[in-house]
Amino acid sequence: MDFLSSLSIPSLPILPLLLILPILGAVFCFLIKNDRRHTRHMAILFSGVTLALSLLLLYDISSRGYVESESYAWINTAYLQMNLDIGVDGMSMLMVLLTALLVLMVAIFSDTESERSNSFFALIMATQAGLMGVYLAQDYFLFFIFWEVALIPMFFLIAGWGGPRRHYASMKFLIYTHVASMIMLIGIFMLVITAADGGVLNFSFEAVKAASAAGLFTTTFQVVVFGLLFFGFAVKMPLVPFHTWLPDAHVEAPTAGSVLLAGVMLKMGSYAIIRICLEVLPEGAIAWQTVMIVLALVAILYGAYACIAQKDLKKMVAFSSISHMGFVLLGIATLSGIGIQFAIFQMFAHGLITSVLFMVCGIVGHNTGTRDIPLLGGLAGKMPIFAGFMMFGFLASLGLPGLIGFVAEFGVLMAFFDYLMGIDVLWPIVFALASLMLTAGYFTWAMQRSIFGKETTKIDMSNVHDVNRREGVALGLLCALIALFGIMPWLIMDVLAEMPLVLLGVV
Amino acid sequence: MEYAWLIPVAPLLAFVIVGFFGNKTKEGGGAIALGSVLIAFVLSILVSYEYFVTSGLFDSGEAYAPAPFQWLVFGDYALNFGIYIDSLTCVMLLFSSFISLMIFLYSIGYMKGEGARKRRYYAEIALFLGAMLGLILSSNYLEMFIFWELMGVCSYLLIGFWSYKHPEGDAASEAAASAAKKAFLVTRLGDVCMMAGLFVLLFAFKSLDFTTLFDPAEIANVDSGMIILGSLLLFGGVIGKSAQFPLQDWLPDAMAGPTTVSALIHAATMVKAGVYLVARSYPLFIQSADVMLVVAVIGGVTAFIAATMALNNMSLKRVLAYSTVSQLGLMIMALGAGGYVIAMTAGDYHASLGYTAGVFHMMNHAFFKALLFMCAGSVIHAVASEDLRQMGGLSRKMRITSATMFIGALSIAGFPFFSGFWSKDLVFESVMNPYASGLPAGDIFLFLFALALITAFMTAFYMFRMWYMTFKGKPKEAAEHCHGESPKTMTVPLIILSLFAVGSGFLLFVGLNDIITFSVIGGEFMVGGNGKTAEYLFWHVLENKWTYVSLALSLSGIFLAYLMYSRRIINPARFNMGGRSGLYRFLTARYYFPQLYDQISLKLGYGVAKGVDYVDKNLIDGTVDGISNAISGSSDTMRKMQTGNVRNYAAIVIIGTMVLVAVLFILVRFGGV
Amino acid sequence: MPRKVMTMIPIEMFLILSAALFCIGLVGVLVKTNGIVILMCIELMLNAANINFIAFAAYLGDALGQVFVLMAIAVAAAEVGIGIAILLNVYKAKKTTDVDDLTILRW
Repeated sequence: MDFLSSLSIPSLPILPLLLILPILGAVFCFLIKNDRRHTRHMAILFSGVTLALSLLLLYDISSRGYVESESYAWINTAYLQMNLDIGVDGMSMLMVLLTALLVLMVAIFSDTESERSNSFFALIMATQAGLMGVYLAQDYFLFFIFWEVALIPMFFLIAGWGGPRRHYASMKFLIYTHVASMIMLIGIFMLVITAADGGVLNFSFEAVKAASAAGLFTTTFQVVVFGLLFFGFAVKMPLVPFHTWLPDAHVEAPTAGSVLLAGVMLKMGSYAIIRICLEVLPEGAIAWQTVMIVLALVAILYGAYACIAQKDLKKMVAFSSISHMGFVLLGIATLSGIGIQFAIFQMFAHGLITSVLFMVCGIVGHNTGTRDIPLLGGLAGKMPIFAGFMMFGFLASLGLPGLIGFVAEFGVLMAFFDYLMGIDVLWPIVFALASLMLTAGYFTWAMQRSIFGKETTKIDMSNVHDVNRREGVALGLLCALIALFGIMPWLIMDVLAEMPLVLLGVV
Repeated sequence: MEYAWLIPVAPLLAFVIVGFFGNKTKEGGGAIALGSVLIAFVLSILVSYEYFVTSGLFDSGEAYAPAPFQWLVFGDYALNFGIYIDSLTCVMLLFSSFISLMIFLYSIGYMKGEGARKRRYYAEIALFLGAMLGLILSSNYLEMFIFWELMGVCSYLLIGFWSYKHPEGDAASEAAASAAKKAFLVTRLGDVCMMAGLFVLLFAFKSLDFTTLFDPAEIANVDSGMIILGSLLLFGGVIGKSAQFPLQDWLPDAMAGPTTVSALIHAATMVKAGVYLVARSYPLFIQSADVMLVVAVIGGVTAFIAATMALNNMSLKRVLAYSTVSQLGLMIMALGAGGYVIAMTAGDYHASLGYTAGVFHMMNHAFFKALLFMCAGSVIHAVASEDLRQMGGLSRKMRITSATMFIGALSIAGFPFFSGFWSKDLVFESVMNPYASGLPAGDIFLFLFALALITAFMTAFYMFRMWYMTFKGKPKEAAEHCHGESPKTMTVPLIILSLFAVGSGFLLFVGLNDIITFSVIGGEFMVGGNGKTAEYLFWHVLENKWTYVSLALSLSGIFLAYLMYSRRIINPARFNMGGRSGLYRFLTARYYFPQLYDQISLKLGYGVAKGVDYVDKNLIDGTVDGISNAISGSSDTMRKMQTGNVRNYAAIVIIGTMVLVAVLFILVRFGGV
Repeated sequence: MPRKVMTMIPIEMFLILSAALFCIGLVGVLVKTNGIVILMCIELMLNAANINFIAFAAYLGDALGQVFVLMAIAVAAAEVGIGIAILLNVYKAKKTTDVDDLTILRW
């Protein structure tokens, strides 16, 4: 321990490095000669260092109540304050870790995109820079910039390395989420201007929070602004009925894009709901609570039902993401400490699990040439290791106890039950529980049709091979983490326990 | 007892080792799995010995529950991991690990021809057993639930063991995959209920530890409605796991797995977990007589309808599966009846036989059901068929198997002094008890008692029908291929288990009666162990007139089977009109339960899903695409104005200028600007 | 030197001339299809404006108008230079100077 603490030099500026490294990585990857192995190794190096730094940061802040922030002057005038305020607390720490981890996994996993691999890895690193920025930003302007920065490289990833309908999907993704961003931006401006109250326009989270605490936001104002911001975040999450960009984007995106998109990008929405909507607009949250719960239940059930009908394995997984993000919103919508803690837990859990699922889908698509469930069948014979990973991922996703998904779902449902007991209406929990059945149903059904039964004759199975080493390493690491956190959930709960949430005192 | 946690850890460790390195060893890791279960068994004996004898906890009626480990703490709630040992735990540990030891030993011979897939098999059964042992030792409901679900997954994996490359061809492997899915989903339905029960209890008690939940002072503080709701939801889990009505239908399909797996599921693990949960939750369940009544009725109905379905089934393993469902029904019914008496008489815990009867029958059933399944496995191994119509006359070729299976059949049929005899009569008596004591729902229990008697008759009949069709009569097609008795690793466990099938009933008279108890910290609450002497119990059973009624029914069932299937004096076709009678088809179709399940899942699952998909593609995405199409469409129209013709542009500019000038002129002239 | 007092041509005459010239140019721009002719018509319109400038300059006795005319002539020369250059290139590429055929720069 002493050795470790002497190692973590306090003066090492980890927070800015977490932003700078991915950008540098993107530049290096792009400039390097167009060689698949070199660029991939460069990406692995940079994302590995980023992950190591974020672990160091975790270790560093664990002794200080899981809060850390730094500020650098940027636009620092008498009328306008937009500074480089960056910082972490328990929630953003988890998201930073998840981002760093998944980018590393993606870098290890991706090898099939051999064309223009320098741009490919550069875009992945750029996405990471955007995501890191969103989770680190402590300033609304900075937050918004990174929010958009994360969007653009993803657009190019889908448009450049996607499937046959990639143009449609990437345009839809870009325009849909961009429109939502604009509405969110209006909300942010309203927040900042009202908070300034005629004085200096200060975009920092701190200033707006102080204004909220000082009671500058009237209830009507809160309800309106909550609506604007919530719409912007809901599209990102995504919530039914604003979700249709997601299945298209996922189906067309390359595996790496899907993993980052579902694993970390969707979390931007729920992260922002907690970070912005709940922390500064508590009265708005109370006014919107019922709507949020209804939307969450709709997303959960709708996503699960949509999964049953899907024929494309990847589309099914995409819809399952909608269902699982519904659980996140359900936890948030209880507006209770437990609910929010487990909502964040579920964000983390879903990030890990869904990455496994999308990697599995990627392997199926690449190795057999199709992801169409009716065309598959009996893959376990030719691809036993793959079948094992697929089964593990599916079981984790359907909430098998002992794996991370169970802890999250159990906690969210417990929080929801707690809330329902408080208002003395019990029946809505039936919908949430029914989705557990549906989830088990579509996953087992998909497994039955794709990996079990007799070996398919509809596609050429002669050249199909099992998981290769780099895929195995990425999947194996993720699966190990899923099991680790499922057995030792306190590792995550400790990080979350100290989270300073203004809201917890309010409701 | 400090090392009791090693009991489940040994097989779990074996799972990891075999799972990763099994193929590096001989026999695909079979020896490692066998070793781990041996360790678990020995440890179980040591722990039980310590609990009963040296620690003195048993004498004071206390459970051993060291301070648990805090697993997950949030809000007011704390979820822990720990161990909880009382005499029920010990009994369960002993017979589970012992029977698993036999099954693992038997597997070495049974799975010999499986090649590389043995690794998977041994890893999965080790995990299965580890989960069961963990469940037995759990100190709270959440821990129990985790192991409970793990078993669900193990059963999924094992039932689907042949879900690809089935030895009997592709159709069979499709069936195995389907059966595995069905088992998982149906039990999952129960699990979801149980999870809801956990929420209710956790909300009410702020903890799921047995030491808290079973504390009378804590129970008194909690709204009784919450306890009733929680108990019923927990029982929902039991209905799924122990295949009770109306979720019984997955168990017969689960026969698609290897026979050893069936033995493991039916005798040592999985379905026994449900009965164990009821027994373990007694302090909560007896808070309401109505809950116990529900438990008893579900058990009784299950016992009856499962027995009827076994009457005309033609598959060796399925007959055994139905008999398991039926016997589980009896156990649940006994537990329910006993609990009902306790609930109504407000706490005379010792007076109730039901608890002892249920647990005792569970133990005996474990022995003879493991025996029967392993005999069936031996037969299937030899003739490569499960169809009773293709067997016959095997007793000459397979002497050990036929003899041991005969013993098992006698035991389950309740032949005097075999183990089934004692426990079954205890069950019957406990069901009769509420009526005999004149309790309010006595009439219902009288009806259940009648069902139980008919079940006893049917049990005897179908077991011997099966035995005669397999081992007597003329050898049919499949029996011709029989290559003689199975290897030693398979027959030795059969012989050992048959000893237990004969003798385990006598354990009742050497102290088991007092051992089957339920204890909590402080010893304030104790069920079972009714303190009667062995002599009293022995004569009590023999003096009871109902003993003779049930005995007569069993014997007549055996005799009827003998006449129909061995002597062929009565032609079975007379009863079923050659298979065309409505009742016959109704039974063959399993009361149309599979269709019901299919319809429900088709309508509620796939049907709605299709609708959702339609809405998604057309309505929601249609709106989104519609908006974008409207925008791009209107811009299409607008840009037609761009002709590209310079002169048009010029004309427009000029006209525009002229209009502007005119407007300005008018404004200046008349508007006075 | 005795200055002979001349009667000024009324300013309306200049304005009519310039308006007529402008209209001829305008009609030419709208009616003609040949690029060269259109350029020449634009010159006509410019010159109409120039005449106006000069007329008012003389009328008001202010030299600023003449300065503007010189400026306009310079600009017009540059404009015609560019215009002719474009048209030459168009002619090289498309073998026509007919503006009605040059409609590819639309949507």
